[in-house]
Amino acid sequence: MIVCVAVVGHQNNPLYIQSFTEADDALKLHHIVHCSLDVVDERVNNPKKSGPLLNETFLGLLYPIENFKVYGYLTNTKVKFILVTTDLDVKDADVRNFFRRFHAAYVDAVSNPFHVPGKKITSRTFAERVSTIVKSFGLTSAV
Amino acid sequence: MVREVSESCLDSLLTEVVSCYCNRFYPNKHDLAARRIEAIGYQVGHQLSERYTMERPRFNDHLEAIKFICKDFWLELFKKHVDNLRTNHRGTFVLQDNKFCWLARMSIDPLADSGKSPEDITSPTAGNKATHAMKMHLYFPCGILRGFLTNLGILCAVSADILTLPTCAFTIRIKA
Repeated sequence: MIVCVAVVGHQNNPLYIQSFTEADDALKLHHIVHCSLDVVDERVNNPKKSGPLLNETFLGLLYPIENFKVYGYLTNTKVKFILVTTDLDVKDADVRNFFRRFHAAYVDAVSNPFHVPGKKITSRTFAERVSTIVKSFGLTSAV
Repeated sequence: MVREVSESCLDSLLTEVVSCYCNRFYPNKHDLAARRIEAIGYQVGHQLSERYTMERPRFNDHLEAIKFICKDFWLELFKKHVDNLRTNHRGTFVLQDNKFCWLARMSIDPLADSGKSPEDITSPTAGNKATHAMKMHLYFPCGILRGFLTNLGILCAVSADILTLPTCAFTIRIKA
């Protein structure tokens, strides 16, 4: 189950953070997302030879913490997407698929002429699309 | 769902934007008008960069980003590639387009807006005014290029020159 998704700008400024649990642990999730930014920077600047290709957008599993897994994705414009999930058996293909759809929703939200680059994304359509993508995460693989 | 835009509408819109900014909003203050038009282009380029770099992995260096502009980006915007790319390998790139789409339908009328006799066509001022008017139309694509590159993290300055209609060259100077 996805617990939290976040979009972080290229100066590590948060553009969108949304949690999907009923528990009131927003602070803890913000902290997890913040810590994962360091891991993203490290992955990009010191690529492991056995790791993902040097310039791939999908960064894979960043690190496990408590019972959460954190996945990262870095776009060409240095915007980072962070996904925090509690699922135990998450398939790589599912996460890639999720990030692809999330990226498409992000591009549409940023193309809004009333959106100011660098400020938080306040579009309701974006929030709805994200919750649709989150709800269908992992369900398609059951076929 | 793929939505389409009419090219002729876009051409007319851009012509009107330049005309509005130069003649109505900032008459006689062409520098200011140019900067405003370039800022519009900057925002457009910023947003386009998110959309068109979505599918591909990250760029290794500046040259790859410029080559992407010359091939894929120009193809998306103008349905053709950039015809000639030159570089001095020290941060300056010149992109030349031999039939730039937004200049393709422009012509210079040397006798326009003056009652001058034909002998005056050879005077430098008539030609200069026309070139100056055409240069205003190039600020928007310069802004698009600057916005595109800045969003990729490459700070630069972009300027444009018209060689002979409709050939034009965009010079990108990357700030080290």
